[in-house]
Amino acid sequence: MNQSRRQLLLGAGALTGLSIFGARASASVRLRASPLFASEVPRTLVLLQFSGGNDGLSMVVPFGDDAYGRARRATRIADKDVLRIDDYRGFHPNLARMNALYAQGKLAVVEGAGYPSPIRSHFKSYEVWHTADIRGRATGEGWVGKLVSAAWPDNRDPNLVVHIGRNVPYSLYSQTHPAASFPTPTGYKWAGEASERAALEKGGEVCEHGESMDEREPANNLEYLRKVLRDGQASSEAIRRAAVRYRTKTEYADDELAQALRDVAALSAGQVGSRVFSVELGGFDTHSDQKNRHDALMRRLDAALPTFLADIGGTEAGKNTLVLAYSEFGRRVRENGSNGTDHGVAGPMFLAGEAVAGGLYGKHPSLTQLDDGDLIHTTDFRSVYASVIKSWFGVEPARVLGAKYPTLPLLKA
Amino acid sequence: MNFPRLWIAPLAVLTLAATPAEEPPASQQKQSSTATALAWDARAVEHLLNRAGFGATASDIDAALAMGREAFLAKLFTGFAPDGAAFEVVEPDRPSPAERRAMSEEQRRKFGQELRRQDTRQALEYAGWWVDEMAAARHPLRERMVLFWHGFFTSSAKEVKSGEAMIRQNQLFRQHALGSYADLLHAIVRDPAMLLYLNNNKNTREAPNENLARELMELFSLGEGHYTEEDVKEAARALTGYGARDGKFVFNRRAHDTGTKTILGKSGALDPDGLVEILLAQEACPKWVSSKLLEHFEGRVPSQARVDEYAKFLRANQFSTSAFLKRLFDDPRFYADDVVGQRILGPLEFMVANCRRLDVHPPGAVIAAGASLLGQQVFGPPSVKGWDGGRAWITTSTFLQRGNLAGMLLGVTRAEDIFKEDPALLADEDDAAAMSGEMMDEAMGEEAGAMTDEVQPPAASDAPARGERAKARPQGPRGREGASLRLMEAARWRRELDLRARCRASGAISDQQIVDRLAADLLAVEISPEARAAMLEYVRAERSAKEIPEGQLLEKKGYGESILRQTAHLILSLPEAQLN
Repeated sequence: MNQSRRQLLLGAGALTGLSIFGARASASVRLRASPLFASEVPRTLVLLQFSGGNDGLSMVVPFGDDAYGRARRATRIADKDVLRIDDYRGFHPNLARMNALYAQGKLAVVEGAGYPSPIRSHFKSYEVWHTADIRGRATGEGWVGKLVSAAWPDNRDPNLVVHIGRNVPYSLYSQTHPAASFPTPTGYKWAGEASERAALEKGGEVCEHGESMDEREPANNLEYLRKVLRDGQASSEAIRRAAVRYRTKTEYADDELAQALRDVAALSAGQVGSRVFSVELGGFDTHSDQKNRHDALMRRLDAALPTFLADIGGTEAGKNTLVLAYSEFGRRVRENGSNGTDHGVAGPMFLAGEAVAGGLYGKHPSLTQLDDGDLIHTTDFRSVYASVIKSWFGVEPARVLGAKYPTLPLLKA
Repeated sequence: MNFPRLWIAPLAVLTLAATPAEEPPASQQKQSSTATALAWDARAVEHLLNRAGFGATASDIDAALAMGREAFLAKLFTGFAPDGAAFEVVEPDRPSPAERRAMSEEQRRKFGQELRRQDTRQALEYAGWWVDEMAAARHPLRERMVLFWHGFFTSSAKEVKSGEAMIRQNQLFRQHALGSYADLLHAIVRDPAMLLYLNNNKNTREAPNENLARELMELFSLGEGHYTEEDVKEAARALTGYGARDGKFVFNRRAHDTGTKTILGKSGALDPDGLVEILLAQEACPKWVSSKLLEHFEGRVPSQARVDEYAKFLRANQFSTSAFLKRLFDDPRFYADDVVGQRILGPLEFMVANCRRLDVHPPGAVIAAGASLLGQQVFGPPSVKGWDGGRAWITTSTFLQRGNLAGMLLGVTRAEDIFKEDPALLADEDDAAAMSGEMMDEAMGEEAGAMTDEVQPPAASDAPARGERAKARPQGPRGREGASLRLMEAARWRRELDLRARCRASGAISDQQIVDRLAADLLAVEISPEARAAMLEYVRAERSAKEIPEGQLLEKKGYGESILRQTAHLILSLPEAQLN
């Protein structure tokens, strides 16, 4: 930024009580929020990761299968408690509102999602899901990173991809479009007076190179840090503005996931420029005492996701928001000795939103034809990614996934 | 139970006086520099102390140069000063089985609650004690290695649910910090915290639980790809019966599988020690440990050739980490330009090194709370894999928070500065002036909500009055950020900071000299010309605004010190301040 432009922005900031950092970001916010563009709410994707390995059999319960009752004792959900989808399967009893979404056709369940040669390590399996490649990180960027490069190559908005939580998943890793991330919008700022913020911005600025810096991954850490500082400064004010201004229609629970989704709703409404959001529900690694722990997770999910969809329902954001939920693996069919289950393989994926063509997809894996005690996946999870990439973002899936996968009609035509 | 809440709450009652940290005393014995190919200059010393400890102050560097390389390196492995007071672990006063039987249900519950409260409190005190040890730098390399092992053989208090076991595990790391990895691996399979963390309590002959077996191979010894699923199952059988009760190791003989197992091609009635011996004999094992050590100390992923070379050395030296590190510190590649000053430092390092460089001494618990906010909680690694480190430490959010925490150490930033929302955010730029009073009230209400949390600092009598909690603001675990910051503030300690005196002592007079002095003192790497110019411009502008002529800034007690602290805050918020 040249000197005169800086002074101009500084002057404008001083007039309205805004900081210099917000100036660049808020200029674009203003443009997008002006009435002329008001109807152009872009399609966004919300990724919800069930971290730790979700026991799919306790979420979409195959109560109609005798083998379920034989394999599960401590973690078993009684037939009478299951919220029936049909005579074979039904939702966990704590998923009443999710069940209602399903009944309204706003929830799609893809059964038996997984990948060939499954890996039972959390971290390696995350890598597979995050890169959509069995080789994991060795292949470079995360699948969302590749998606944004393919879909919006010239968009340099630091808020394009936002993670709300502590640990940014590798799926968002991008050399050109790093994600903005924060546990909560409140406190997402560098506290100092305007003059200090201006000095810091200048001190962290890379001179001479200008915008060309964006084009490649900074090779050394100093350049990388400068870029993060600049992105953070531009992003934080727009984010906090959107979060503080938002008024919810529904009441969100006092819960980490619910609040993160509230922030997603706020940032969508505030049009901060995000196209992909990432949130997380952790605690699924239920090696012991699974019943209590998984029941509680289902309750939290049921309190959070339907509230979010109800909140944005009926708005442009509602029409243009798609939620994709997944876990790095399912769990063993047989219980272990601790009233829990060990790392397994296949499990269900979920798509939710007004654009979803609700219903069942894929095929429930057999509970008797097992691979070394594990379910055999029936749908490659990359087919679900491919469907979203193609139908939702209009990008050729192979450009992101590196290979062709059959797509599923998961979205309304 | 909401663990994070318990975890933070006792911080509130900290009213510790600042314990003065001791500088590592400059050894009197002046030794002539031995004939070595490696330079012994300020760059080498600072690098060594950054990587083998928690940052170097100017006086550390002078002392090390005076000592000479050989003497300094010897001290690095034995400590620069005698240990301070050890942490006395108080065993909880558990009721005997007979006493338990005599209790009512309600009494038992109350008693259990009280035990847990005391246990959590003790773990917190220990975490603070450990961070104090890091800052005191009596034996910086040992503390650095304890932190390395904590991230390598991870356990998290959240799952272990026994502060006592977490403390014992840390003591185990201290015992073996610079010893043999092989001994530590043998010890870790009977470490109560580890057995609880990875569910081995529930690993029985009838129903094996694979958690410990898998991580033992994947993360603690071999790395993925060097064992099969079958090996994991067989290893789990070997580990059956090892468990923990009341924070102590127990062997449940009846749960142990005495049958023949075949692990990595070796068969026998293997027990946990037999399993560990098999793991240690694998070629992958020293490679795995070497690559982790090299990455930790050099801050970059080592080449395969380098890993192989160090793995061979580690094997030949019976897995001695001291021998490994001595070799590394004598390796010219460790001092290469693409290593020195190129590593992004972790949160604990950031906090501890800044305290040391600023010469401020908040209680260890305060430093720990700051590090936790930045993503590194003592006794709380995010997963069994530990902390990812490197660029993963830095997000747009943690970067800005690092600057805020540096501001808190300097006393120029308060928690409320971070959580106070600019009311202008509520309105469009154009109608900020027209914002209704109602909206203003609502905004302030939300702010009050953000400032409130269930974690109330009971002992902080000077804490501001809390407003009503607003419905829409995050609470619970998400409020942890706010809670940590406020509690950092609530813990009272005396900040004896005199940047003017420091600059004066160095002979700095002009604005440029002052900026250069502060940058040299506070940064581990050289400040870039762009940042240097920006800092100078800032000092000039602030000085002029207060009508202080150049050269007289250090004379002004109030404004002078204030401008210096603001400048220090800016310097510690720069990209350069995240590197060492």
